[in-house]
Amino acid sequence: MPKCKINGKSITVERGTTIIQAAAELGFDIPHFCYHPGLSVPANCRMCLVEVKGARKLLPACYTQVSDKMEVQTDSERVVQSRRAVLEFILVNHPVDCPICDQAGECKLQDYYMDYDTQESRLRTPKVSKVKVYPIGPEVVYDGERCILCTRCVRFCDEITGTNELTVVERGDRSEIRTFPGRELDNNYSMCTVDLCPVGALTSRDFRFKCRVWLLKSTDSICAGCSRGCSIHMEQHRSEVQRYRPRYNPEINDYWMCDAGRLSYKELHRDRMLKPLINGAAYTWPQVAEKGAALLRESIDALGEEGADKVGFVFSPQSSCEGLYMARRFAEEALGCTRHYVGGRPHGDQDDFLIQRDKNPNRNGLLLQFPRGQRPQPFEQLLADMESGQIKILYMMGSEVPVEGAQAERFRELLRELDLFVLQAPRGDGLDELARVILPASTHAEQRGTYINCDGVAQQTREAFKPLGSSLPDWQIAMKLAARLGAPLTTTFIAKLQEEMWEAMKANAQPAPEAPEAETTEADDDAPEEAAAP
Amino acid sequence: MAAQTVTLERQKRGFWVQTYLPEIFKGMGVTLKHFFGAIAKPSENIVTVSYPEEQRPYPARYRGRHRLMVREDGQVRCVACMCCSTICPANCIHIEAAEHDDPSVEKYPETFVIDQLRCIVCGLCVEACPCDAIRMDTGVHCSPFIAEDTDDFNALEGELRARERAFYARDLLMEAGDHSRAVQGGRRSF
Repeated sequence: MPKCKINGKSITVERGTTIIQAAAELGFDIPHFCYHPGLSVPANCRMCLVEVKGARKLLPACYTQVSDKMEVQTDSERVVQSRRAVLEFILVNHPVDCPICDQAGECKLQDYYMDYDTQESRLRTPKVSKVKVYPIGPEVVYDGERCILCTRCVRFCDEITGTNELTVVERGDRSEIRTFPGRELDNNYSMCTVDLCPVGALTSRDFRFKCRVWLLKSTDSICAGCSRGCSIHMEQHRSEVQRYRPRYNPEINDYWMCDAGRLSYKELHRDRMLKPLINGAAYTWPQVAEKGAALLRESIDALGEEGADKVGFVFSPQSSCEGLYMARRFAEEALGCTRHYVGGRPHGDQDDFLIQRDKNPNRNGLLLQFPRGQRPQPFEQLLADMESGQIKILYMMGSEVPVEGAQAERFRELLRELDLFVLQAPRGDGLDELARVILPASTHAEQRGTYINCDGVAQQTREAFKPLGSSLPDWQIAMKLAARLGAPLTTTFIAKLQEEMWEAMKANAQPAPEAPEAETTEADDDAPEEAAAP
Repeated sequence: MAAQTVTLERQKRGFWVQTYLPEIFKGMGVTLKHFFGAIAKPSENIVTVSYPEEQRPYPARYRGRHRLMVREDGQVRCVACMCCSTICPANCIHIEAAEHDDPSVEKYPETFVIDQLRCIVCGLCVEACPCDAIRMDTGVHCSPFIAEDTDDFNALEGELRARERAFYARDLLMEAGDHSRAVQGGRRSF
């Protein structure tokens, strides 16, 4: 293994490691535009040139592999001088329209200019004008003048999605990024090019001009668009999520995420129910817990001896493990309900990269709340049970239903025939008109929670902003109602709740001794330690 | 430590001081001097201004009501970069950006509202503007906001209406474009 010295510090690295990687390991940040750890290395921006002892010229740190006894200087005068020259060269035709550029504030060109250049332009000839606001794809807008031709976007489409839409056309200072004739940048991951772009040449049509990036507050969270559960930066301004950005997670999504997931932040604010309602009248939480619990108790008692058997409880795979754990305890201990069903969004498209068919982020977490053999039944079974009149009271978490068309219509009709329908969800989705009790829950943006993705990797979300309106996390709603029903679930702190939850889930993950089932994929062996990590 | 008592001697006051009369006559003297002075030469000696009919000239760099500069074609010069609303310590500038039809302009403020009651007239927005699009050189300040219809029943409503009148929207701010009285932030365009 080669041992080298970078800025006087020695390090031993694997054979094949490049200087930029070795330097990063030592904590030296070498400026770069075209290099991206998830893509191939073209070494065309010349920003990462460093001085290597013995080499006559400066060498690109992104491309040069570390060899034994190599001595590298990343911040010598010669290197800084070269960076200054590279920046001046890039800025020759750059429009410097930072005030109207969405990238301003997270622009590498801006940052490096402030770090290394800070000189006035010496150019006295007019800049080359190129295409502005070019619709390169349905989600992405291209600005030729801002482009520094690092070709990250081209390599992304070649190497990651394999769709090969983009290329560089023309030569010299007229070079531009274009799609091949008849094509457009419309793959499922096209907005990753916006993240990749180190300058503001590719901007997202959705985020364009919406908010300046320096106003955004970022929280580590997950995308709830499908069961992949990509790690994201959730960025909000004044309690409104403005965009998702993928967060590097080698176990799940690397540096990428799909466009549909990226735009799924809109779901967080759509059609929110913000006040607890009973029969259409708004109440405070203590009132609604009192009255709601009384209503549930009365309705169950009114059905006679077997009342509890006619209660159905729909668990939502949209909810966090914490919410589901408390909901299960609420259903079993407070309501005495044994008929459990799974709700959630219907299945959708999938591909062989990130997009999953199951559009719910926490199905594995839901299943792990129940011991094997007692897992909740599918939604179709609920329809059948409602049809045959076995269910008179329905408590539903989440307003999403996994059936579509005529079946969904039929479900709505059946809801009308129930004695009592309680809806605990962030959104109404039309079901709120049919519910007698509405308990507004918060979305995954507004609470701490654990989600287990399709591969059994558990991730924790953090509270990006306070729950909107009077909404509350699912676990708190369950606690409030359970206390009024005379079966208090005494957990007050989420940390304590999580401890109990993991114990229960670990027990449930063990295969049942008599009948080992085939579905062992969702066993969460690595889940607890994964969740403990930030 | 025990508290110490310091005894101060009472100041000695003479007979005339105790009668107060010399000071009363001195004071009356000043008053009468101004009184007759004002009658003799009113223009020089009366400094009171009957505001708002009369106004004192403001200094050249007085920070008054904002104005939004206009381009040669009469459109707003502001490009909605949000630098002013970011720097504003009173959070009184609200901007919503939108896509302009002309690709050379690209971004413009669809709404640009300054809450003049919140504004602390610090002038940081003028400093922050990269396009010299906002200035405070109109030489006038905002009109005072008095609630109208202040009978008891409508008092709140009147106050709310007055509150709304403090929101100066884009077009109103652009109308003040030719009201410059001072050179501020570089070249004067009017």
